[in-house]
Amino acid sequence: MTAALFTQLLVNGLATGMVYVLIASGLILVLGVARIFNFAHGEFYMLGAYATFALCQVLQVNFFISIILSMFVVALLAAICYRLIFHHIRGNLLLCAAASMGLSMMFERGALVSFGTQERGLPSVFTGVMAIGDAALPVEKIAVILLCVAIMLGLYYLLMRTKLGKAMRAVKLDTEVAALQGINTTMVYALAMAVGCSLAGLAGGIIAPLFSITPNMGHAMLLKCFMVLIVGGLESMLGGVVGGLIIGMTLSFGYYILGGLSEILLFSIIGMILVFKPGGLFGEVVEDV
Amino acid sequence: MKEVTVFILFGILILLLPLILKSPYQMHLIIMLCINIILAMSFAMLFSTGLITIGAAAFWAVGAYASTLFVMNLNISFWLALPLASVTTGVIALVLGSIIVRTPGVAFVVQTMVINMIVVQALGQIDFLGGWGGILGIPRPNPIGPIKFVSKTNSYYLILFLLLLTIVLFYALYSSRIGRAWRSIRLNPRLAQTLGISLFRYRLLAFIVASVSAGWAGSFYAHYFGTIEPGTFSVFKSIYIQIYSILGGLNFYIMGPIVGAFIMTLMPEFLRVGKEIEPILTGGILILLVIFLPGGILSIPERISFFPKMLQDASSSSRG
Repeated sequence: MTAALFTQLLVNGLATGMVYVLIASGLILVLGVARIFNFAHGEFYMLGAYATFALCQVLQVNFFISIILSMFVVALLAAICYRLIFHHIRGNLLLCAAASMGLSMMFERGALVSFGTQERGLPSVFTGVMAIGDAALPVEKIAVILLCVAIMLGLYYLLMRTKLGKAMRAVKLDTEVAALQGINTTMVYALAMAVGCSLAGLAGGIIAPLFSITPNMGHAMLLKCFMVLIVGGLESMLGGVVGGLIIGMTLSFGYYILGGLSEILLFSIIGMILVFKPGGLFGEVVEDV
Repeated sequence: MKEVTVFILFGILILLLPLILKSPYQMHLIIMLCINIILAMSFAMLFSTGLITIGAAAFWAVGAYASTLFVMNLNISFWLALPLASVTTGVIALVLGSIIVRTPGVAFVVQTMVINMIVVQALGQIDFLGGWGGILGIPRPNPIGPIKFVSKTNSYYLILFLLLLTIVLFYALYSSRIGRAWRSIRLNPRLAQTLGISLFRYRLLAFIVASVSAGWAGSFYAHYFGTIEPGTFSVFKSIYIQIYSILGGLNFYIMGPIVGAFIMTLMPEFLRVGKEIEPILTGGILILLVIFLPGGILSIPERISFFPKMLQDASSSSRG
């Protein structure tokens, strides 16, 4: 393997991996703070992609503005879903999971009925190729990596440096004590849901120029995110980041080395992690149902 | 006495159902209903130990494919393939289960779901297993003497026998020491462990029994339906199986799946909506159910009997 090829595969892996990181960290945020295991997360990603497509292609808005607008659209939708559905069953993990499955079915089929089955795509925003040494790297992929890193840094700032982030961490630690300190837990739950799902929406917007947009794109993405959670664990954001990068790299390098068998390589890596670290690399086995 | 009469009448009705229902399509629905009940009961069995699975359809698929491959490649009789397929499912469940039952809660949900997706992918990708097109022309169960399993009526009696077998087996397990251990694990895992109940062993046992019953349902399905394809066994099916149990009532391990599967299997036929928007309705029903009736349909009588008591409490407290 030459250095140029290695760089190329590395950038590919980083680009896909960072998208997984974005979506998975949204999933972990919603699970950690609002105690909802969100099976509809992939659908928010799909809706983010469709919203970006609609704003960019139909309304001719600038790409970056439309990503941000669609993020707010998805966040608003997630907050409404929280208030209408999950608020009534908060704290019950099983019922929340079941309700989110219902939500996922409704969104997916709703998108299929209203947008049709044909694939859609946006024209590339960044064209051109960047040469580093011998490697020719598409600017698009590098832009995706940089955007995702910037968003993750923003998320870090939100969680660690702002008052809202502090409230979220407090609620994650202990809901009742947080409520005793005067934190509006309902508000924090809804905001956590909105922020988590808007991360998925953002990811959908970012990949819109790269991949085709279909109503069932959320399912495949959700499968990948579950793998990220299995590898990294369900508790920490760090687990999400490491897991996302491992999955992205495995797919990128594995596809070059093994071809179609790379998925099986991925599954065997996941199996090994499950055998030796049942809770994931950064998680613990929790005994509560 | 009254209950016994009702029970006997109900039993006669079930036995004579083929005489009442004339059209083959209605019989097909009833047969699929029986399969769905077995699958939903396997979900309920894992739930009785506090585990939530989204992978019931994966073991259904394993049973169906194993039985098909045994019959078509080894040329053995269906009556041998059915137990063999169940054993195969059990062995696979033993291997997978010993890895995944150690992590209860959300992690288990995710792991079973990923297993289901992997099974569907593997069935689709590997040519030996038929690929995405599936396997066509699976032979019907071999005739026993004069009884041939070509007509829907005889297939109905076969699945009814399997269903009764599953119900009796599950009932025996639930009412034995094992069932009490399962329930104690669900109520409080830590306390159960201090009483000397091995969480790992009892959960693994539940996982294996549930998977084996899904396996024989799959074996019957393959030979009854004649064709199997990976799409049938997707995660969607597993979610539907979960809905059957939740709809009927999660605290009713045998009656809940029966009631839930009955409603969910026959309702689309009565509503006569297009296949297109059926998931939207199902999803909506699931959400409404979870919010307004989390105990399931079988909890309605309990709730109604609570009403007068609640009113009484309210009036007495306002007086006091």
